[in-house]
Amino acid sequence: MMKTNGNVKIDETSVQESAEEKPDQLNPDLENEYCEVKVENLNFFYGSVQALFNVTVKVHEKGVAALIGPSGCGKSTFLRVLNRMNDLIPGTRLEGKVSIHGENIYVSNTDVVNLRKKVGMVFQHPNPFPKSIFDNVAYGPRIDGLKDKAVLSEIVETSLKGAALWDEVKDRLNEPALALSGGQQQRLCIARALAVKPRILLMDEPTSAIDPIATQRIEDLVRNLCNDYTIIIVTHNMQQAARISDYTGFFLQGEMIEWGSTSSIFTNPQDNRTEDYITGRFG
Amino acid sequence: MKTAVLKKGFLIEKKKSEWRSHELIGFWALRLTLFLVLFILGVIVFDIVSKGAEVINWEFLTQPPRLGMTEGGIFPAIVGTFYVTLITIAFAVPLGVGAAIYLNEYAVQGKFTRLVRMSVRNLAGVPSIVFGLFGMAVFVKLFNFGPSLIAAGFTLGLLTLPVTVTASEEALRTVPRAYREGSFALGATRWQVVRTVVLPRAIPGILTGTILGLARAAGETAPILATGAAFFLPHLPDSVRSQFMALPYHLFIMSTQHHAISQVRPIAYGTALVLLILVCLLNLSAVLLRKRYRNRVAKGL
Repeated sequence: MMKTNGNVKIDETSVQESAEEKPDQLNPDLENEYCEVKVENLNFFYGSVQALFNVTVKVHEKGVAALIGPSGCGKSTFLRVLNRMNDLIPGTRLEGKVSIHGENIYVSNTDVVNLRKKVGMVFQHPNPFPKSIFDNVAYGPRIDGLKDKAVLSEIVETSLKGAALWDEVKDRLNEPALALSGGQQQRLCIARALAVKPRILLMDEPTSAIDPIATQRIEDLVRNLCNDYTIIIVTHNMQQAARISDYTGFFLQGEMIEWGSTSSIFTNPQDNRTEDYITGRFG
Repeated sequence: MKTAVLKKGFLIEKKKSEWRSHELIGFWALRLTLFLVLFILGVIVFDIVSKGAEVINWEFLTQPPRLGMTEGGIFPAIVGTFYVTLITIAFAVPLGVGAAIYLNEYAVQGKFTRLVRMSVRNLAGVPSIVFGLFGMAVFVKLFNFGPSLIAAGFTLGLLTLPVTVTASEEALRTVPRAYREGSFALGATRWQVVRTVVLPRAIPGILTGTILGLARAAGETAPILATGAAFFLPHLPDSVRSQFMALPYHLFIMSTQHHAISQVRPIAYGTALVLLILVCLLNLSAVLLRKRYRNRVAKGL
């Protein structure tokens, strides 16, 4: 069923983009496999500086995929390719193919606004808006045109429960979000992302700016959320990747050195560089 | 000095006292310049207030001039300045804020935006009489508004545009990037980001900057001289096409153009005081607005 779904979508795009689709037809096996996120031969440039080199990766539905690697290795850039946040940076350029739910998201008729609703994002530093807790979570549905107060309240409640924050804030939804602690703010940002009902959740080092106890709560939350969402998380912390992810990708200087199940990456890495990194020889 | 070199302790002692006296001279010289500035300002304000306060009463504020402008009040000039300021706001605020939003949020930053910004800043240095001539050529003649409230308001609007654009841009730039990214990541369009996240944060700053610009415009004489301000009008303006009396222009007439200048000197001082109070009120409102905005930021709402 899944496969047919994928095929139908691809047929549609190949009608619109027949010229671009041709090379893929040479390799039908690769094309037919349905993936939540599929990145093929991705090269990414900031102006004349190349940040990603020939990255190819497939992420399947649900579960947690972790991206590890030293600072400046391109893992955040890669993450921001997936919801086209890099579009906001002038002078960036991309080669290759990035498909989400079987659709190339870098063709000219891509609805970026819609893409970002499907692919939510949580940032390194908690960035709640300077509005009330309620207004923060209701932000996404509201810009989508939802005005019904009852429906909004329900979405806010479900989202806050989904982010394990409801019990802490249910009595003060109208208080400013910036009055919350750092960890709570980060969970609020997760709730805010959930309120848009995404399929994929991108997390860019979501715990690097908060304390260890709050970090643990977020890790637990990520494990819970991955039953319903595909989560791709960038982390500096290898132990964190080992604890919470099902798949791990290792980035080094803009290349994806290795990609596989977390257990195999951490117990039996295929590449020497991966082994050196996870055993703490560098990075 | 020789003994100072021989005796080490003495040397240090001497240097210290030298250093001290230099410091004292510098300190007092700078302090004196400040006192001087304050003193001059004080004399001006005292002069205007002491001479102007005598003539200011209810009649002065609510009556038109009488007997060849040697008696009566300045009511039409107050109303005229009020009207022309309203038109200035209506012209300069949407245009200036809109341009700033475009420059800061939409335009691709590069040579073109740099050129635009440079031009806007240079525009702020253009003498106001040049704006007056331009207003006369364009609004009065070319657009055929005639000498009128609207021509003068637009001219003053042009004069305040650089201030409005620059202040608005600065206010927009203080909105953290994280807010914009957070909003974009939730699927907001650029306009939604601007409307729901950026503007609410920037509006207080935009308003304060704009008010300061208006305060300057309200006191300008040269731009309205040739675009609509009238020497004397027996009635209030009844449409945007009417000519009008204005406080700064009235002051100019009363102090240089009147047939009995020494006789109407008190009226000139009264007008000056009213104008001064008006500008101070505008500046005060900008200060209060900024204060309220700071409190709101501190509360995180």
